[in-house]
Amino acid sequence: MNERKQNPIKRILSTRGMGGALTAFAGLIAIYIAFGIINPTVFSGQNIMNLLRSMSKYLLIGIGQSYILITGNIDLSIGSVAGMSAMISATLMTRGVHPVAAILIALVCCLVIGVLNGLLVGKWKLPPFIATLGTMFVARGVAYIVNFNRNTDAIASGIGKEAADAFGNFFYYGSTLGIYNTFWIAIVLFVVFFFLLSKTRTGRHIYAIGSNADAAKLSGVSVLATTTKAYLVSAFCSCVVGLILCGQAGMGNMEAGNMYEMYGVAAGVIGGVSPLGGTGILLGTLAGAAVWQTLENGLNMIGAQVGIQRLVIGIIVVGAVFLDVVIRNGAYRKKTVKRGSAPKAD
Amino acid sequence: MNDVIVSMKEICKAFPGVKALDHVSFELRSGEVMALLGENGAGKSTLMKVLSGVYQRDEGELEIFGKQYGDLTPKLAQEVGVAIIHQELNMCRHLSVAENIFLGREKRHGIALANSEMEAEARRILDELKIDLDPRQVVGELPVSKQQMVEIAKALSTNARVLIMDEPTSALTAREIDDLFRIIRELKEKGCGIVYISHRLEELQHIVDRVTIMRDGQYITRMDFQDTSLDEIIAYMVGREIKEKFPRVSCEKGKKIFEVKDLNAGRMVRDVSFSLYEGEIVGFAGLMGAGRTETTRAIFGVDAKDSGQIFLDGAEVAIRRPLDAIQAGIVLAPEDRKKDGLCTKLSIRQNIALPNLDFLCNRFGVVRRDKEDEVCARAVEDLKIKTPNVETDAANLSGGNQQKVVVGKWLARNSRVVIFDEPTRGIDVAAKVEIYHLMNRLKQQGIAVMFVSSEMPEVMGIADRIVVMCDGRVTGELSAQEATQEKILSLATQFEKKIAI
Repeated sequence: MNERKQNPIKRILSTRGMGGALTAFAGLIAIYIAFGIINPTVFSGQNIMNLLRSMSKYLLIGIGQSYILITGNIDLSIGSVAGMSAMISATLMTRGVHPVAAILIALVCCLVIGVLNGLLVGKWKLPPFIATLGTMFVARGVAYIVNFNRNTDAIASGIGKEAADAFGNFFYYGSTLGIYNTFWIAIVLFVVFFFLLSKTRTGRHIYAIGSNADAAKLSGVSVLATTTKAYLVSAFCSCVVGLILCGQAGMGNMEAGNMYEMYGVAAGVIGGVSPLGGTGILLGTLAGAAVWQTLENGLNMIGAQVGIQRLVIGIIVVGAVFLDVVIRNGAYRKKTVKRGSAPKAD
Repeated sequence: MNDVIVSMKEICKAFPGVKALDHVSFELRSGEVMALLGENGAGKSTLMKVLSGVYQRDEGELEIFGKQYGDLTPKLAQEVGVAIIHQELNMCRHLSVAENIFLGREKRHGIALANSEMEAEARRILDELKIDLDPRQVVGELPVSKQQMVEIAKALSTNARVLIMDEPTSALTAREIDDLFRIIRELKEKGCGIVYISHRLEELQHIVDRVTIMRDGQYITRMDFQDTSLDEIIAYMVGREIKEKFPRVSCEKGKKIFEVKDLNAGRMVRDVSFSLYEGEIVGFAGLMGAGRTETTRAIFGVDAKDSGQIFLDGAEVAIRRPLDAIQAGIVLAPEDRKKDGLCTKLSIRQNIALPNLDFLCNRFGVVRRDKEDEVCARAVEDLKIKTPNVETDAANLSGGNQQKVVVGKWLARNSRVVIFDEPTRGIDVAAKVEIYHLMNRLKQQGIAVMFVSSEMPEVMGIADRIVVMCDGRVTGELSAQEATQEKILSLATQFEKKIAI
């Protein structure tokens, strides 16, 4: 009972989930240096800036997916929701709607999908894989329908070049203090959601329902409200990713955000977020997103083909989950056998 | 005497097919420990789950601290001052001790969690209870007994004035039980009312003031503990009339077929030894959690064995997985039909064929329909399975017929030992009698029958010999002639001395 005045560094290092995150950071540094040795341009300032910017999308989508994974669920709809967000905002802007209004409308539509996911999974207990597979198609359907099955024209055609540039700069091309705005957006949201998950009651409840929903419920935690909040976070993050994609392209692409839900899973899992729920921290997701982007970027720089890139990334993801499931949960399973045989019901 | 703080009147609660509580009344005074006693399935836990808001009652009145309540939720019950320590551990194993203690009522500064405050508070509670735990430790890493103490600390941290403990000592060591009793006495002094559910009757004398006895979902009686004896309590607990008929056939007891020697598997199977003979049914009696199901699972190779030998017809058999047991001729009709016994989404035909595909397939692995039909037809006829045809999904059968399908799977093979684990649970009386007839037929065919049941009348009515288990050990063996409910119950509650008196 004397370790209360613990060294703060020790305390941070002993945070749950820090192990997975640190492993991912170590992996990140190793990969980065390895690529840099092969091709020193990897270390160039411009490359680092580019890296940070393109990583931002994966980070945001990873934050959303990590929230869901920690509750013990999955959200397959986030890529499509990003596409929906891009298409709705772009379509509105080509019709001359003010960008801020367009953003808000896109956000509301995305949050509706989030609430729907929360109800399907939290209230009606649909398997999350199936429920969000459904909303994935619905959201992608909406993305196609809003502009009548066509990609939009350049948003400048509706709101004028000046406003279109402002939009593009805010989300993608502009930079502040020498760092691209995209990264600032991602980092601000990262801090907000990091705080929400690790320091607030909602965050605690997210871990609790992912760890043992029954116990949480008997302790007075609302599983429905908590599940819905998590899906709202993932919908919000995908919406922002959609806006970034829209700003990057200067138009709406119906296929925007395709497969991003899986990139989100990959970022979380590489960073030590357990796909079985209850564990993981967003620092891990940050590292995971960076690993992912560094691999993509580095393999590109050393001239590896797309096929090789995919293959390597696939191996990394499976390796990360292998660590999680086989090592950590193997140890856990031995414990549960004993626990399961304790005296039971009345 | 002290005030009545909880009063439950005419409480009814039905689950599909079962009337769990049938006009039950219950009261609790401040400053007393009320033991709630009854056999397995008497409805004790259900009643307490109604009181703590886990279940909603169908009928009846509920008054806590003089105030009537409609539907309670766990949260509302907690606010009113009712806390329950559930029998099954209800912890988030990824969260720390302090986080579990404050789950659902976290302290905050603004919107941020006040972690250090909660940790300090948790430490204060743990210190007060003299529980040596670091509040920051992750619960999943603690042994079960410590988790149980966390559960107790959690309940106490709500400042509950009604505290329900459902089998709190089942996972505790002697020292921890002493600590628990000390805590209970302190709470009594403070005026809390405590409901104490336990199968360990010998514990009661240390703490209990009054007892309430339930049987088959009904209220039986309430007494001052001083004015009664354990014998009287047991008599009230088991006092049901035996209405069911138990067909008994007598057989010549033949040679020893099956023997288990010093079997150990985990905490719930400890040094278990017994033998089965040709022409007899051996009943396994005991309380829930006595380790009988675990014993059947270890024999059948579902769970790993730590040590022990199994002999069939005098030769030792090594069983590492269920397939080994099946090939040796030892089969199991498991406790949970729907979960372990059947593939409920498959048809009767597919279910019966499943363990027999080795001889139902031709040499290319194609299932031979004619053979399959033959085996199924025989099972349906032999066991009188009531079904339009064998293509019916197993899920659509009644409990009794499902049980027959579970057994039917094995009859196509020449099994030597058939293990029934609670074969009559949840099935009606007529179907039960058919299951008894089936066991009798197996017995007449010279097959060794091991019959695990928590219903004492049927064990006494059907078995030729009764092995009683308690806490993972065999505590005694009785012949059908000498067995009485009292004797069985006294063996079934023969826990190892854990309490320093």
